[in-house]
Amino acid sequence: MKLTINNETYDVDADGDTPLLWVIRDNLGMTGTKYGCGLAQCGACSVMVDGVVTRSCVTPIDAVEGQEITTIEAIENDPVGKRVVEKWVEHQVPQCGYCQSGQVMAATALLKEIENPTEDDVEAAMVNLCRCGTYNAIHAAVKDLAEGGAS
Amino acid sequence: MKKLFLTVLGVVVVGAAGTAWIATHTPSSPFDNVTASAPSEDLIARGEYVARLGDCVACHTTPDGKAFAGGLEMGTPLGSIFTTNITPDPETGIGNYSLADFDRALRHGVAADGHRLYPAMPYPSYDKMTDGDIEALYAYFMEGVEPVSQANKPTEIEEPLNMRWPLALWNVVFTEGEVYQAKASEDGMWNRGAYLVQGPGHCGSCHTPRGPAMNEVALDESSPEYLSGALLDGWYAPSLRNDPNIGLGRWSEEDVYAYLKNGRNEHGVVFGSMVEAFNNSTQFMSDDDLMSIAHYLKSLPADPDYDGPVWAYDEATADDLSRDVADKVPGARTYAANCAFCHGRDGLGQNEWIPPLAGVSSMLAPEAESAINVTLNGSPRVIANGVPDSYRMPPYREHLSDAQMAEVLTYARSAWGNHGDAVSEEEVAALRSHTDPASIDVIILQMR
Amino acid sequence: MKNLKLSPSQQDQFPTGEPVNISRRRFLLGAAGATTGALVLGFGLPVGKARAQSGGEVTPGTRVPAFLEIRPDNTVRLQSPFVEGGQGVFTAMAQIVGEELDADPKSFVVESAPAGPDYLVINNQMRITGGSMSVRTSYDTMRKLGASARNMLLQAAAIRFDVPLAQLTTEPGYVVNSSTGQKVPFGDLAEDALDLPVPDSEGIKLRDPSTFRWIGKPVDRLDIHDKATGKAIFSIDCAVEGMVHAAVQHAPRLGLGVGNILNETDVSAMKGVMSIHRLPGAVAVVAERWWNAKVAAEALQVEWVKRDEDGSNIRHMPDDFSTVAFSDHLANQTGNGKAGEEEGDVGSAISNAATTVEATYRSQFVHHGQLEPPSALARFNDDGTLDVWMPNQAPEQFQSQIAGMTGLEASQINVHSPMLGGFFGRHFLYPEANPYPQAVQLAKEVGRPVKLIWSREEEFLRDPLRPMAVVKFRGGLDADGMPVGLEAISATEGPTEGIYGHNPDSIDPLALEGLTGKKYAIANRRIAQIYVKTPAMLAYWRSVGHSMNDFFYETFFDELADQGGHDPYELRMQLLQSDERLSNLLRAVGDLSGGWKRGPFTAEDGSQRARGVGMASPFGSESAAIAEVSMQNGDVVVHDVWEAIDPGSIVNPAIIEAQVKSAVALGVSQILMEEAIYENGEPTARNYDLYPILRPDQMPNVHVRIVESGAKMGGIGEPGLPPVLPAIANAVSTLTGQRVRSMPLSNLRFES
Repeated sequence: MKLTINNETYDVDADGDTPLLWVIRDNLGMTGTKYGCGLAQCGACSVMVDGVVTRSCVTPIDAVEGQEITTIEAIENDPVGKRVVEKWVEHQVPQCGYCQSGQVMAATALLKEIENPTEDDVEAAMVNLCRCGTYNAIHAAVKDLAEGGAS
Repeated sequence: MKKLFLTVLGVVVVGAAGTAWIATHTPSSPFDNVTASAPSEDLIARGEYVARLGDCVACHTTPDGKAFAGGLEMGTPLGSIFTTNITPDPETGIGNYSLADFDRALRHGVAADGHRLYPAMPYPSYDKMTDGDIEALYAYFMEGVEPVSQANKPTEIEEPLNMRWPLALWNVVFTEGEVYQAKASEDGMWNRGAYLVQGPGHCGSCHTPRGPAMNEVALDESSPEYLSGALLDGWYAPSLRNDPNIGLGRWSEEDVYAYLKNGRNEHGVVFGSMVEAFNNSTQFMSDDDLMSIAHYLKSLPADPDYDGPVWAYDEATADDLSRDVADKVPGARTYAANCAFCHGRDGLGQNEWIPPLAGVSSMLAPEAESAINVTLNGSPRVIANGVPDSYRMPPYREHLSDAQMAEVLTYARSAWGNHGDAVSEEEVAALRSHTDPASIDVIILQMR
Repeated sequence: MKNLKLSPSQQDQFPTGEPVNISRRRFLLGAAGATTGALVLGFGLPVGKARAQSGGEVTPGTRVPAFLEIRPDNTVRLQSPFVEGGQGVFTAMAQIVGEELDADPKSFVVESAPAGPDYLVINNQMRITGGSMSVRTSYDTMRKLGASARNMLLQAAAIRFDVPLAQLTTEPGYVVNSSTGQKVPFGDLAEDALDLPVPDSEGIKLRDPSTFRWIGKPVDRLDIHDKATGKAIFSIDCAVEGMVHAAVQHAPRLGLGVGNILNETDVSAMKGVMSIHRLPGAVAVVAERWWNAKVAAEALQVEWVKRDEDGSNIRHMPDDFSTVAFSDHLANQTGNGKAGEEEGDVGSAISNAATTVEATYRSQFVHHGQLEPPSALARFNDDGTLDVWMPNQAPEQFQSQIAGMTGLEASQINVHSPMLGGFFGRHFLYPEANPYPQAVQLAKEVGRPVKLIWSREEEFLRDPLRPMAVVKFRGGLDADGMPVGLEAISATEGPTEGIYGHNPDSIDPLALEGLTGKKYAIANRRIAQIYVKTPAMLAYWRSVGHSMNDFFYETFFDELADQGGHDPYELRMQLLQSDERLSNLLRAVGDLSGGWKRGPFTAEDGSQRARGVGMASPFGSESAAIAEVSMQNGDVVVHDVWEAIDPGSIVNPAIIEAQVKSAVALGVSQILMEEAIYENGEPTARNYDLYPILRPDQMPNVHVRIVESGAKMGGIGEPGLPPVLPAIANAVSTLTGQRVRSMPLSNLRFES
C-alpha cells in the first residue's frame, strides 16, 4: 500500500486495517506522533490528512491511501505550522511534552482552516487532552495566533 | 447480565376452565419410541454445526464458565432467571435426556420433568427444525460436549409469578408447532435460507416485533411484519426486509453475506446484541448457508409506507462541520470533538473498519434506542476468525450528559440526509439508568 | 558501556527491513534532538574520564567530569541526576550549574545521568525524581559543582597561558585574561581542565546571589522546541538495531497465572507473530511490529489459574473486591487508631466544648493517567551487559532490582532514563506494575532486543492506585465559635507501607500528611490512623498523602467555621496570626483574587458563583488557593483558581508558575471527576473512555503568585495541588448549601 507522508511516498507492508499511527511509528520510524489511548480519546496521535486534523490511532491506512498526510516531523515546513511552533516556544507551552505533537497539529489544522478563529472556534478545535494541564498556555498561544493571524 | 423479554409472565391471559389439560400435557415427539443408537462422528460434527446455527453457546455459556454449563443471568422485569446446564452431566445437566426429551425441550419448551421453559429459550423458532437436525444436535450434546457438574441456579422470580404452567397456554397461542415446510414455489436456496432464518437462526427473536404477550407477531414471511424490525432490551434490531432505510434495501446479497461472515461490510459493522450472534454463530455458518440466508432475506418486500422517503446522501452536511459553522448547528460541535475522528465529518466511516452513520438504520429508524445505547455504552468486541477488531466503539456515558448526547444524536440522525427523529434527553436518561457499558474483553465462548 | 552511536553502515540497516532513506531520516531527527536524543541515536556515553560507576569512594555531586562535558563548540553537556518529565528540572539544573560555571543555560544540553554513586545528590545519599525534592535537595551541591568546574577551567587557562590565577576571570562561556582582555572559549580549555584534580568543593567560592543572572529568572526551558516538534524522545520512542516488538495480555486480576492457552497455534500463525511467551501473570507476543503483537496478544485465549504465593511481593486481588464495599469497610472501622500527631487533650477539649461538629469524609482511588503508556526496551549485549531503557524515577533502584532478577552485577546493567511522558509517581518500582521485567525476560528468551509497550488498557489494569481513606472528624468550638479541639482518625493505608510493608510499631507519615502538619492555632489536636490493608496495589501520586488529606482537613475546617459563625477565610487568618509566613501567604492569595469574597454572588454572565479557600504545607513549601465555581446543569464548573505559593526561594519563576498550573489541573481533575472503580476484582475503566480526565474546556483560568519568604527552599512540583481541592469543595458548599465530604464531585447530586 502506498502512503504519502510529508510529501514522500512510502510503500508500506501492512494490513489495510492497521492504524496509521503504528505504520508511521513502527514501519516508517517517525516517532513524533504519539500513542496515548488508541481510542481517539486523547489526541496525542493527531496528524493532518489533507489539512484536516485526524487521530491516526483510529485511522485505518486503507482509508487514507492517496491522501496527503502531514506528521509533526514536517510541521515546520508548513508556514502555519512554523508559526504555531514559534508561539509554542514563545508561550513555553509544553511540560512533559508527550501530548504536544498532537496539540501543535490541532492548532495548525485549526488555523489553516480559519485564519482568525473566535474563542468558540478555539474551544471547539482544541480538544486534545494534556495530563500536565498546559491548557492555559495552549489557550494563550492559540489566542495569540488567532489574533495575529497565522501567517 | 443479559436482559430479555420476559415480561410475558404477568401478561399471559389465563383462560379459566379447560386449561389444566393443556398445562399438564406432555407434547408428543416423533422420537417417543426411538432409542438413539451410538452416533457417528459425522452426525456429531453435523450436530455441532447445528449448535452453531442455533447459537446455543451464547446463552448457555458464561465467559468465565465451562462450555454449555449455563448460569448466564437474564434480567426480566420480574427478577432474574439463569440459563441451564445443557452438558451431558446426568445429575446437573441433560445427561439423562432421551432424544425425545431433548426434542420436547428444543421444539416445545418442555423439560424432561415436565416443567415449562421460559420462552427466553427460542423454542417457537426451534420448533421448525427438522428431525434430522434435532437428532444431530442431540448426538453432539451427548457425545461432543464435556459433561460438567454445575447445579442450575434457581430463578429469582418470586411466587406466584414463578408458576410456569401458564406458559403452556402461551405456547398454544403463539407457537406453530410444526417443522418447516419447504415452499414449492421457491428454489432450494430460498427454502434453505428460510429454514435457517425461521428455524435454528431464530432471527425473529430480535428482529420481529412482539405482541402484547411478548410473542413474535409473525413467524414467517407470510406476514409483512415478519423481521420488520423490533425493539428489544434497549436495542432496535432493524428490519431485515428490503426497506431501504430501516432494512436491507440498499444491501446486495453479497453485502448480507459479508456482514454475517466477517461482521462488517461497507454499510456497517455488527454492534449491540448482534455482536454475540456474529461472534458465536453466523461467522461459523457455511458460505452456502450464508448465501441462502442473504437470498431469502432479500426476497422479503419492503414496506414503503412505513419506511418513508428513501435516504439519499446529502453532501452539504460535511460543510456544517467545517469549523466556522459548526458552532451554529446544535450538536455539530460535540460531533466534531467526539465522533468525527472515527465516523468522519462526512459521516461515511472508514471503509469497512469503522461504520458510517450516514444512511444506517440506527440513524433512520423512528426508534433511536440503538443509537443511544451504543453511544452510552459502546459495543462489545467483534471477533472474526479468532481475531479481535482493530477498532471498538467506546462508551461515552462518562463524557456526555443526557442533554449533550440527545443533541449530538439528534444532529447525527438529521445529518448527511438522515431523517431519523430527534432524540430527547429523557430517552437518553432512561437508557442510561438501566444499561451498563459493554465489556472490552475479547470473549470467545468455547464449544469444546 | 557500548557507544551507541550508529555508524553510517549501521544506519542503513536500521530499523530492520526498512528503506534506507527512512532510517537515515530517523537518525538525523534523533541527532538533531540533542537535548533529548541522548538515547540510542544521540552521542556516545560516557562523559569525561571518570565513569560514574567506578567505585565506592565517591562523594556524590563532586566529580565534575561525571557531570559535565564542555565541547569544542562551547556547548555544555550536563548529566542531570534527575529525570525530566515536564517539571523543568533539566532547565533548572542548567540554570544552577550555569550560574556558577558562568555559562548561559541556553548553551546546555542536558540528559538524564546513568545510574551511579556520583548522582546520589539528594542530601548526598540518594537519588529519586520525586517528592518535589530535586532542586531543593541538590541546590547547594549543583552550585558547587558548577563553581568547581569554573575553577578547573580557570586553572587550565592559568597553566596554558602561564599567568596567575588571580589575573583570570570569566564571562559567560569564556575565560578572560583581565589584563590583556584575551578571551578563550571554555570549549578550548575543557580537555585540559577535565584532567585536573577537582578542587575541594567545601572551599569553593560561590557567587553572591545578588549577582545572579539566571537563578531566580524566568529562563526559557531547554526542551520546548523539541517537544513542540515531536523530536523529544520518550521511552516509547526508543529503538535499537535488530529490535522486535512485544505486547502483553495481563491476567484480569493480580495473583492469577497462565494456565492453558487455548488457541496458541492459531495465534502463532497470525500476521507478523514471531513467538508467544508465558510471563508471571501475563502472556506476551513478540512480533516485527507492535500493532501485530498487540492484536495477537489480545487474541490469546488464556485460562487463568490461581498463582502460588511465589515471593513476588504482589497482592493477590480477590475476585469479589469492590471499591464501593471497600470504602464502606473503611468507614466501618472503629477505634481511636494510632496517633501521628497529638497536642493537648483533644478528648476533654471536645467534651467540654460549647459546640461539637462531627463529619465523615471519603476519598477515592485514582489513576496516574500519565499520557505515555509504560514501555521498556531491553538489550543483552555481547559483552554480558544489559541495556534497559524505561521510564523510571529512580535509576539505581531499578538497576539493583534488575541485578537481582538477572543475576548480573549492577555495574553490568545500563539504565537509561529517557524523558517521561508524565509521571506523577507512576514510575517508581512497583511489583509487576512496571514493564521492564517482562521486557528483560522476553529479550533473553528471543535473543534479540525487545521493546515492550503496554496498551492503555493493560496500563489501567496494572496501574497501582493512590490510596483511599475514610476520615472521621470531631471538632469542638468554644462559646465564641472558635475551634478548641480537632480530632481526625483516618482509616487508610499509606503508600509506603502499602509498597514496602506495614510496620505495626510506626506510622507511615505519608498516610497522614496534610492532616498532620497544620499550623492553625487549635490547642488540642489528635491526628491518627487506623491501618487497613488494601487488597489493591498502592502507589505514590502527585502530592501523595496531601493529594487527599488537605481536602479532608480544610473542608472540615469550613464546617467548623460555619458552625462557629465565622467566615472561613477570616478564621484561618485569625488562627494563623502568629505565623507570619502563612499570614502573608493567605493575604497574598486574597489580594491576588481581588480581595476575599465568599459569595454566593452573581457574576457578569448572570451565573451564581461562590468562592472557597484552602491551604496546605506540602513538601517544604506553603500554598494557598482560592477557587470560584458555579453550577451548570448539575455539574460543578471551576472558573478561576488563584494560588499563592511560598517555596522560600526560587530558581525559575516561569517554571514554578507552569508547575502550579499543572498541579491545579490535576487537582481539579481529581475532585471533579476522577475515580478508579473496581468491581469483582477488576477495574471497570480500562481507558480514558470510562476514566475521564480534565478536558481543556473544564480548565479554570489559573492565576499564580510566588511569594519568596526567604525560608528554606521547598518543593515545587507537588505543592500546588493540595489546596485546590478544598478551595473547590468549600466554594461548592457555599454555593449549594450542601456539604461536600467526598470526591469526586461527579458522584454528588446538587439540589440548587
